[in-house]
Amino acid sequence: MRSNYIRKWFADAFGTMAHELKEIWKDGGVMLIILAAGLVYPLLYNLIYLKGTVSDVPVAVVDEADCADSRRFIREIEATPELSIKAECMNMQEARRLMEDGKVRGIILFPSDFGEKLSRNQTTVFSVYADMSSFLFYKNILMGTNFVMLHEIGQIQMERLAASGMTGQEISQTVKPLMYEDNNPFNKAFDYSYFLISAILMLIIQQVMLYSMSMLAGTKRERNISFATMTDRFEGRGVVRVLTGRGGAYWLIFLVIGLYVAFIVPALFGIPQRGSFGDVLTMLLFFITDCVFFSMTWSTFITRRESVFLIFLSMSPIALFLTGCSWPTCSFPWFWKMCSYLFPSTFGVQAFMNMSTAGGGMWAAQEQMTAIVIQTIVYFITSYIAVYVENRLIHRRQALAEGSAKE
Amino acid sequence: MNILQKILAVIRRELRIIRKRPVYIVGSVGVVAFCCVFFLTFFGKGLPDELPVGIVDNDNSTTSREFCEQFNSTQLSRVIRFDTFSQARDEMTRGNVFAVIVIPEGMNADVMANRQPHVSFYTNGLYFLGGALSWKNILQMVNLTCGAVQREVLRMKGYNEDEIMGMIRPVDIDTHQIGNPGTNYDYLLSGMLIPAMIAMCVMMILIYSLGAELKFGTSRHLLETSGGSMGAAVGGKCLLWAVIFSVLGCIAILVMYHWLGFPVAGSVWGMMLDMVLLIVSTEAVAVFIIEMIPVPRLALSIGALFSILSISMAGFSFPLEGMPRAIQALGPMFPLRHYYLFYVQEAIHGTGFAGWWSEAVHFLVFAFLPMLGIRRLEKAYIFQNYPKD
Repeated sequence: MRSNYIRKWFADAFGTMAHELKEIWKDGGVMLIILAAGLVYPLLYNLIYLKGTVSDVPVAVVDEADCADSRRFIREIEATPELSIKAECMNMQEARRLMEDGKVRGIILFPSDFGEKLSRNQTTVFSVYADMSSFLFYKNILMGTNFVMLHEIGQIQMERLAASGMTGQEISQTVKPLMYEDNNPFNKAFDYSYFLISAILMLIIQQVMLYSMSMLAGTKRERNISFATMTDRFEGRGVVRVLTGRGGAYWLIFLVIGLYVAFIVPALFGIPQRGSFGDVLTMLLFFITDCVFFSMTWSTFITRRESVFLIFLSMSPIALFLTGCSWPTCSFPWFWKMCSYLFPSTFGVQAFMNMSTAGGGMWAAQEQMTAIVIQTIVYFITSYIAVYVENRLIHRRQALAEGSAKE
Repeated sequence: MNILQKILAVIRRELRIIRKRPVYIVGSVGVVAFCCVFFLTFFGKGLPDELPVGIVDNDNSTTSREFCEQFNSTQLSRVIRFDTFSQARDEMTRGNVFAVIVIPEGMNADVMANRQPHVSFYTNGLYFLGGALSWKNILQMVNLTCGAVQREVLRMKGYNEDEIMGMIRPVDIDTHQIGNPGTNYDYLLSGMLIPAMIAMCVMMILIYSLGAELKFGTSRHLLETSGGSMGAAVGGKCLLWAVIFSVLGCIAILVMYHWLGFPVAGSVWGMMLDMVLLIVSTEAVAVFIIEMIPVPRLALSIGALFSILSISMAGFSFPLEGMPRAIQALGPMFPLRHYYLFYVQEAIHGTGFAGWWSEAVHFLVFAFLPMLGIRRLEKAYIFQNYPKD
């Protein structure tokens, strides 16, 4: 008797899954989203951010000092990988015009007393004007000029100390009382693609699943055959079978996409994969399960197939910021921090980044994994309630309709 | 019936549809308002502060403790102490601290004895902004500490304060940030993401509005209303939505550049013009998409993909110049790219018409796009021979 029930249970769940897979396959819009956004988007984003860093940002130089010192500075600036001198201008107006035309992104001005101050052992100052239309230009201009400044400070200090009668050993000790070394182990060159692609890859899984599931659910509801009515076909309460069956269909599809996105795409484009395969795979399985019930819950609110785009499309960039990959989580206003807990991506992205891109083990994503498990349970319960309530509503509506028909 | 009456009839009809289906108002006013509130409050601080940085103080001397205290008192960082390097490194891998500074044992004594101790620091560049800002702050702090030690040494050797200043800091940079003096991230990010969201809504709503006629089989009724004129039918819808979104867009511009005081070197009027042009050209792209693919579900999917992509292709976060050549060439296809270039001229450089006229021309070129396929959509409207949803 009992084994009979179990066999029936699996047959029902399996049947629901096969049915859902067929529906997905038949729906051109859903297939387009899954194929284009799930398979092509990861490649496209990698192409866009292929280089990941900006080098040789064009700058203009205005050399009012025109002395040996300023010319040495200019040569050193040109030699930095960050900057490249596109123009030497007679005056600021000329340089300003080049910047307004977008030909140069910064201006470096050596004032007429630049060399004089240096020779008088005073602090000499040069000016940097940065175009703030992009933070990466600004960062390069800042880094390039600061590097030259720090290097020159060391050189000049040595000369001045030598002139004041110090000897070799003493000079180097005074110039560098403290040695330092900087390491950026996970992202050596502050490569833009390493962090953004890692985040986008996980986000794609979640968003594509949400859109495709909502689109299909909306279509069903438009035709008045909500999947909530499927529970009636089964003996006993069939809600869990519907959830497992439908979820299973998406779980299978997105497992394939997930493997592609988490393992193949990073390998194709040289995004670091420092984690162990087993750890990342485990995380991925939990994350996809979480996404399934997340999408199922939210797709309840979609009554027409198109409305998902009208209402949820703007969630993609918002969910990206809520992962904390660019704007740090500790600087979130508390309210948005709470909201970030609604999205599986918040934890999925962090877990993927810590484990795969940074190369920590399971321990590096313990908090995130716990959160994903809790989220899965909560979203399972909410999607159970959603199906149950919707089923009841449909029944009441039918009963009302029948009642009024009898009258 | 002249053309104006036809357009008015279409507008009245569209208004009735909007009243009947709440998704239109939710998808336009609702989403735009939500996005404005989100981005403006999310980046509200302008610059992250109190970023956690781990310090492993193996020295535990007055100098090292002072260093920690001074570092903790900077706006940008907050110190978390760790006993061992491996603990700190694990926390950095978890993303809980953005950087780790290791102060070597005997640092104080080594400095005193001129033995040049090594301080090492590690940053997590995967949490990009937090890592980069922490890196910058640590570097600055270490250089300041070097300066302080030098000052002590030179004082002991009997130099006067003026001479010392010339020794410690022979060169300095005076930095001017044009268009954004305080490196406020809100100005650029909200300033670009809010228009991006508005453009996204325009794209979705317009494709939906035109596609719904096919979906619900009401396209012939629409053509009847417009007196058989396809131009009036599409034009009426575009006009109404252009007005609605322009009002929303101009409110957003006023909130940012007037109320919240985002810097604008030119005029707020210029930014409003930029917004209106963005809306009109996005509408043109939306119409073009539904004309080419008169199947609402496919057209919406393609419009969605286009809108999401345009955020990257505008080039305000990662510059277009840093992308591969082939991708760069696609840049001008996206109206948001022109909005950004217009914005750079108007808000950052304040060059006015002379600076942005070419972007305005680009915007207007988009307006011709719908003419290419209007007949195709008209046929679809009359024969309704495409899949309905």
